[in-house]
Order: sequence, then C-alpha cells, then structure tokens
Amino acid sequence: MSSPGRLQQLLAAERARQRGRFIIAGLAAATVSAASVLLLGLSGWFITGAALAGAAGSASAHAFNYMLPSAGIRLLAILRTGSRYGERLVGHDAALRALARIRPALFSSLAAAPPARSMSLSTGEASARLVQDVDAVEAHFVRLSANWGMVASIASGTALLLLAGIAPALAAAGIALGFLLLAHLLANALQARGRAAQRAAGRLKEDFATYAAAASELRAYGLEGWAAGRIDERSQELASAQSRVTAGAGWFELGQAVATGLAAVAALGLSYGGPLPMAALAALGAAMTVDGVSSFARGLERRGTLREAEARLESMLDAEIPPRPSRPLMDAAPAIRLSRQDALLRPGEVVAVTGPSGCGKTTLLETLLALREVEPGRISLGGADLAMLPPDVARRCFAHAPQDAALLAGTVRDNLRLAAPDASDGELWEALRDAALADRVAALSGGLDAWLGENGARLSGGERRRLVLTRAYLRPAPWLLLDEPTEGLDAATEARVLDALQVRLERTGQGALIVTHRPGPLALCGRVVALGGREVAGPALVPMIG
Amino acid sequence: MGDGEPMSQSSPDTQRPDKQGNARRRAWLKEAVKAGGRWNGAATGLLCLDGLAAIGFAAALAGGLTSLEGGMEAVWPWLVLGILAAAGRGVFSTLSARAGAEAARRAKTVLRRRMVVASLAIPAGERPPVGSLMTSAVDEVEALDGYIARFMPARMAAAVVPFLVLGATALASPFSAGILAFTLLPFVLALALTGGAAADQARRQFDALSRLSSLFADRVRSLPTVLSFQAEGRETARLAGAADELRRRTVKVLRVAFLSSGALEFFAALSVALVAVYAGFNLLGLLPFPAPEALDLGRAFFVLALAPEFYAPMRRLAAAYHDKQAAETAADRLEALEAMARAPDAGARPIARAPAIRFEDVAVRFPGEDRAVVEGFNLDIAPGQVVALLGPSGSGKTTLLNLLLGLAPLTEGEVLVDGLALSEAGSFAPSIAWMGQAPLIVPGSIAENVALSRQDAPVEAIARAARRAGLGPMLLERPGGLDAVLDERGAGLSGGERRRIALARALLKDAPILLLDEPTAHLDAEAEAALIPVIREGAKGRTTIIATHSERLAALADQVVRLD
Repeated sequence: MSSPGRLQQLLAAERARQRGRFIIAGLAAATVSAASVLLLGLSGWFITGAALAGAAGSASAHAFNYMLPSAGIRLLAILRTGSRYGERLVGHDAALRALARIRPALFSSLAAAPPARSMSLSTGEASARLVQDVDAVEAHFVRLSANWGMVASIASGTALLLLAGIAPALAAAGIALGFLLLAHLLANALQARGRAAQRAAGRLKEDFATYAAAASELRAYGLEGWAAGRIDERSQELASAQSRVTAGAGWFELGQAVATGLAAVAALGLSYGGPLPMAALAALGAAMTVDGVSSFARGLERRGTLREAEARLESMLDAEIPPRPSRPLMDAAPAIRLSRQDALLRPGEVVAVTGPSGCGKTTLLETLLALREVEPGRISLGGADLAMLPPDVARRCFAHAPQDAALLAGTVRDNLRLAAPDASDGELWEALRDAALADRVAALSGGLDAWLGENGARLSGGERRRLVLTRAYLRPAPWLLLDEPTEGLDAATEARVLDALQVRLERTGQGALIVTHRPGPLALCGRVVALGGREVAGPALVPMIG
Repeated sequence: MGDGEPMSQSSPDTQRPDKQGNARRRAWLKEAVKAGGRWNGAATGLLCLDGLAAIGFAAALAGGLTSLEGGMEAVWPWLVLGILAAAGRGVFSTLSARAGAEAARRAKTVLRRRMVVASLAIPAGERPPVGSLMTSAVDEVEALDGYIARFMPARMAAAVVPFLVLGATALASPFSAGILAFTLLPFVLALALTGGAAADQARRQFDALSRLSSLFADRVRSLPTVLSFQAEGRETARLAGAADELRRRTVKVLRVAFLSSGALEFFAALSVALVAVYAGFNLLGLLPFPAPEALDLGRAFFVLALAPEFYAPMRRLAAAYHDKQAAETAADRLEALEAMARAPDAGARPIARAPAIRFEDVAVRFPGEDRAVVEGFNLDIAPGQVVALLGPSGSGKTTLLNLLLGLAPLTEGEVLVDGLALSEAGSFAPSIAWMGQAPLIVPGSIAENVALSRQDAPVEAIARAARRAGLGPMLLERPGGLDAVLDERGAGLSGGERRRIALARALLKDAPILLLDEPTAHLDAEAEAALIPVIREGAKGRTTIIATHSERLAALADQVVRLD
C-alpha cells in the first residue's frame, strides 16, 4: 500500500478528532504500568528490609523508616486503581466516539461509490462488513493506550532495577523486549487464522440471510432441515476457524507466563551478591515489567482480525468515484433522448416502454436513475449526455416506482417520507388515495405509523406495489418512472389506480415512462417505445427482492 | 425518528428479570452449556492447577531470596523451580483456555443449529426482520462463547483456588491466612453487587446493537431505493443517530462495569497492603499487640507474593462477569425467538391421489392484526379440479394457499382434504407442490435450483420439468444449460425466468395438490400465453388452486372463485 486508502484517511481523521482523549487514556495507561512496577518492587524491598532490621535487633527495628515506604505503597495502590479506571473509561469513550462517526461515514461512502461496487453487497455480507468489521476497528482503537503502558512499563522497570544493578535491569528489559518480539512474530504467523475466522463469520451471515429471507418457500418444500444443514456447515466452519484462533492465542499466554517467570528468576539470580532487599525489589519489579507489556502484546494477537476487517472495509471504500464535470442543476423539466430507439421524449409526455421479458425495460429505468453505468452517447437528458452528468442531477429528475417494490424496514410514514421528507399527513393521505391504498392503510393498526416489517412483509404483493407507487407520487420530479405499476392488481383496483394516475398527470404536468404490457396502462400512454430483442444487460446490480 | 420503538417491537421482547424468569433462564443456559460435555470440567480443572503452580512460583521466589546469602548452589534449585512453576502456569492456563474454547465450540454449534431451525419455523406474518434474526443466530449465539469459555471455568475456579491459596498461606503464616479469610466475605459481597447493577444496562445495550445491525443491513439492502430518492443524506443521519445511541448506551454500561471492577481491585490491593503491613511489623517486632507467630523473611515474602493470588480468581470472575450478562441477555432473546417458532407440523401423510378439498367457514387472522384476512370462506373442490382464485389485492388469495401449508393460522372453520381435517394435520405440505411470489435462488446450477423440491430427482425428470416450465430458450442461451451456475442472487435472471424456475420446481415435485401463487405475473402477454398450456398440463391429475389476477389464466380453471 503506497498511499493511505480512504479508510485509513477516515480513521486518521477520527483519531485526530479524539486526540485529547486518546492522550489522556495513554497517560493513564502509562501511570498504571509505572505504578504497578514500583508498587511491587517497593513492597518486596520493604518486607525484606523489615526482616533484616528486625533480625538485627530492636534498635535497628526502631531506626527502620517504615513510614515512608508504607505510605508509598498505599499511594501507589490508589494511583494504580484510579488510573486504570480512567484509562479504561476514557479509552473506550474515545474509541466509541470515533466509531459512531465512522459508521455513518462508511454508509455515506458506500452511497457515493459506483453502483456496481455498492450494490454487489448482499444483505448478510453487507451487514457483516459494516457491523462486525467496524467492531474490529473499534477494538483496535480501544487498545491504543496499551502502547503507552508498554513504553512506561519498560522504562520504569529498567529504571527501578538499576537500583539493584545493571545486570538485573538489562535482563528484565531484554526479556520484556524479547517477549514483544516473540509476540510480533506470532502475530504475523497467526494473522491468517484471524482473517479466516472473520471471513467464515461473514459467510455464515450471508448464507443465513439468504435462507431466512426464503423461509416460506423452505416450509412449502419441507426444506427447512436442508437449509439448516447448509447453514450448519457454515457454522461449523466458523467454529473450527475460531478454535484455531484460540489455539494461536494460547501461545501468547504461554509466552507471557514463561517470560514473567524468567524475568523474575533472572533478576533474582543476577542480584546475587547485592543487598537482599534490592534482590527482592528486582525480582518483583522484573515480573511486573513483563506483566505491563503483556496487554500490548495481547493486542498484537488481534492483528489478523484487524487487518482483515480493514482490508474489507478499504475495498468497499477505495473505488474510484468517476470524476464527472459538475453542472448547474437543470431547472426546467428535461427531455429524454434514447439514441438506440431514436426516440425523443418531451417533458410531460406519457410513454409506454414495452418489450419481451428480459429485454432491459427495468434496466433502462435504472440507467436513467444513474443506478447503472451508461455508455456515452446512448441517453441524453435535457440535451446533456447522461454518462457525463453527476448522478444527483439525473436522479432529481425522476420519481421511481420499482418493480421489486423495495420498501424500507420502517413504518408507512418512514417509507413515504423517503420521497417527501416535509410532506404533511394530508399530502400523504392524498397520494395514498391516488394509489387506491388509503383504505388499506387506514385499516392497519397505527395507520401511517403501522410498522411494515422488513420489505413490507405485512402487506400483500399488490399493496406493496401501490405503496411504492404512492411514494413515487410524493416526489415532485418532472418524470415518473413506473415499472409495471399495476401488475398483480385486480381489474377494478387497476382501473381506480389508472384513473387517478391520469388525473394526477394532467394536474401536475409530469411526464411518465411506464413499463408495462397490460392494456390498461397502455391506454394511458400517448406513445410506445418498444425495446426490441435481448439487449446484453450488465450484471444485475440491483438486489432482486421478491 | 419513529424508528426505535417499532424496531424493538418486532424483535423478541426482552423481559425484566424476575424470579421465575431467572430460574427459567438459568435452566436454559444450563441446557445450552451441557453440549460442551467434559470439556467444561477440563477447563475448570486446569484453571485450578494454574492456582497450584502460582503457589509454587511464590515459594520459589521466597526460597530463592532467602538462599541468596547461602551461595549460588543453594539458589539454583529455587530458580529452576521458579521457571518450572511459571511455565506450568502458562501451560495450564493455555490448556484451560483451549478446553473452554472447545466446550464453547460444541455448545455454540448445537445452539446455533437450534436457532436456525427456529428462525426458519417462524410463521410468515410474525417473522422479525432478517437482520434481527441474523443477529440472533450469529452474534447472540456467539455471546455464549465468553460465558462458557471464560465465565463458567472462572466461577468454578473461584470456588476452589482461593482455598488452595489460603491453605498454603496458613502453612507459612496462619495469622495472614486469617486476615485474608476475614476480607473474603466483604469482597464476595462487593462482587455480587457488581453484577446486579450492570445487568439491566447490558441488556439495553444489546438491544441497541441489534437495532443498529438491523438498520444497517436494511439500508444497505435498500440502497438503490435510497439513492433514487436522493435520501442518502437523511439515511446517513439516521444511522448516525443509531450509532450514537449505541455509543451512549455502551459508555453507560462500561462506566458501571469499570467502576465495580475498580472497586474490587482497590479492595484487593488494600487487603494485600494489610498483609504486607502486618508482615513488616511482625518482622520488625513492632506489632502493637503480642505477636501471634514468629515470621522470618522466607515466610513473609512467600505470604506477600501469594496474597494477590488469593484474589486473582475472583477478579478473573469479575472480569468475566460481562460475559455472563451478555449470555443472559442473549438467552432471553434467543428463548423468545424460539418461542415464536411454530414447530413445523409433520403434516398429514402424503396423499397418493388428487384429493377433494373443502373449505368450511374458514377465517384467518394473524396474531396482532385487528382485521381477519379471510372470513366465512366456503369452497368445494372436486378431485383433480383446477380452481382459480380471483380478487382484489389483499383479499386473502395467498393466505388461503398458505393455510394449506400451515403458514397461516386457521382461526375459525375447517379445511378438509379427502376428509382429513387441517386443524388436526396442521399442514398438508407433504402433498403440495407450490410456487410462490418470491422464488428462492441458491448458489448452484439451474438443475440444483429446480431440484430443491425433490432433491433425489433424476436428471431427466429435472430436464423435463425445466422444459415444461418454459425454461428451454433460457437454457439454450446459457453455456452448460441446466448445469449453468447461478450465484446467490441469481444474477442475470429476469423476473420471468425466476418464476419459471419456481414453476419447474413445483412441477418436479410429485404431489397431488398444486398451489400456484401468481404464476404468470411479470410475464408479457406472449410468454403468458405460452405458459398457460404448460400450467394446464402440470395441473393434470392434481387438485390445483391458482391465485391470480390474470383473467386469461383463470380461463383454464374448471371453477373460478371471486373473493372480495
């Protein structure tokens, strides 16, 4: 990686925003480490010194200054406890603050990315990325203060042990550094395991989402057991991957225990010949020095998971956003020219789009909405080549009622407000009436605030379609794009919807492109654009939702 | 934003803790943990051995220190013991972690399978969003990992290791052991207080996490819609709100958790200081009361080095306490999810021949809905007849089909299939071939996708079903034909092609009842005309019900029923 990716820039910016908190957390971590080393060293020295003084007789015992060390021990104990509380709270707070901004920023980047990139994410995988990967990054942010603790531990440990001699000090520092080197090598060797576990979790979620979304069909064919089995395979894969991660983590644990023991024993042995209290100080101080670097070392253990999460988030963000010249917004209703069909659609025209299934009718609407890439010269909007227009300029010209009736998980109001954030209830009801849906919504418990369930699960197919139509009505755009608007409606409802549509179009002067093959909507249209033959459509970018 | 409340309504309710609930939850967790088998015990046992090694290490340091004056030969054995004890600690705690992880792996796998089965068995009208189900089956099951791998062994070890340490301390200095034992009760009380306060907050934090997860999944799924309405800015703001709510809740949970663990740590440090002061003054001979025992440097140092180990198991338990809370929260939610599942009825045994179907005063009302979808419905279908259900959207056509599958509740009346009552059988799914409005496309070949309805079907049968469903032209266009591989989303399939795959699936299943839900929707007039004879052919020898809006399709029926 030569230049930092967009994720790294984003993380760096948030780190900078929270710099104050991270520094406080780091200083607190350093205080914890130093206090621990000093506390144990001092305690060992105190006990040993007391023993020697006591053995030397009552005079020496009375001469022994026990006030200062015992006050020091109490102070250090309080300092350590308080600092640790501060480190944890401030460190977590800073990380959480940074991440609460990074999550929406990720969604925003996803929305700005080329459609091919953003829309190739399926439900399960997308959620795994945005939630789980961001959690991995968050955990890394929380661990940032461990760096300070590690440095403070080695510095204070070495300084303290110099009181006992150069050899014990060097031994303790050397063993602590050796442990860090070992942890670094282990972390590199074990990275692949962390990544594998992360990927396995993503695959499990992806499969689960696919099957859970089709639960009704599974029941019909008695496939629940089969589907559960397929998900179970993914679950087992994840569990095995996690076991390998745990096994890897075990090596850190072992390394830490051996290093701690080795440091204490080496410091004790190397203090041979010196005063006994200093040997006690060296042994306990050395053990705490290694202990102080261990939380940093354990952070290295998560390196694989972190790198994997970062790589995946980065790949989601790093797509080149194609530079398009910015243009002033078109204020009038623009005409649409389809060069392949040699058709110029004037503002206010009502046009039927027909053709055999699979010929690209839906694709045409999605292309107009800049949800798909378009070749230069194929479509122009208000005299400008669509390929050269910023997506926003194109999108504001259209109100779309898609065929797959995509609804948000939310209330009726949430879904309608998507098109018109400031619409009054009266306007919402009026649009619902025009889509022959007002009675149904009024009958829902909660009315406009009725919860629809994911993708409008509480509504029938025809009702979802009319809700999507209502939503399109509410958007004040010069063109309506209606994809099979009356499919799945009975004749009477269709007639009501079409009558209201005609009145609406006359009143608003909006143009409309209506994809249909039914006689009712066709009768409404002043002209027909037939998409002949099977155009080679790009990969389906838009998730197909039933 | 109007988002918070409904979302939590639709996810499994979390109940406030009460005695009965606690008992039930404990039993539920116990059951889940059981799948770990003997690995649960192994993790605990190894953790206790770790405690023994800690005693050895303290002895080695004390022995080494006191023998420093006796020359290096006297020191060596102690140093070797120290290294061995330290390595022993590492080995035991590593093995304990691995045993705990193995127990967790087994339990999680079993539990996740249970949750997946339950998720798939929740009836259509009551199902929480997929994102929320996914959180339950993946993340909430994962919440048991820490409970089994860390909390359970820590709790068992906390009941054993302190007494091992106390015994070892008593050998060196009974009075110090007394000091430690004296501090045990208040320490345990503090530990217990730690738990209760944070549990409620932890539960709310989990709700927030689940809500954020659902919201992200839904908005990413709906990205095309969001983009076409240029609502990305508003939706980003909504996500920011949810993310910030999660942050605030998390910090609240953490503040309580850190404060209580800080209190424990402080208390442990004070107790150790008390032992240190006693030992120091005892050695100096300056105790304000008659010395209960004569300490020497070795004993004093041993006691001091060991004292923190007395509290270590309990602090480890406190550190793992949030694992317990997370597991309990998850247990409540998973239990509620399981309760929503309607155990799939085995259904009536497959019927050999096209049956007569009779609907008698049938009413269907979904729980929580104030309006019945279908009421007072009567219909007589002779064996082998084709019936078309026509009617306005929302008139319950699809619901009547789902009723036969056991996917909708029979609130009143009865459905009789060859005299067999639906209220007794629960479902006639084994005798039904079905085509719905949202076909499942799984990664794999077209043949595999068709054969979902009959997985042992021979290749020729699959090919025949595909041809009969009008998939021929599409297969010709694709390299490999039936073996052409589809990805998860069935990229490149048109709406009509998806329907035909689903229809082929329905035709492949050798079932005497055929239910078709809008089989010609999304097909142009020409394709519909081509499909109608295929459906007529498929309906031969089967009792067939078609829910449709197409008068042309309805024309092939022997009986047309108009719902209103």
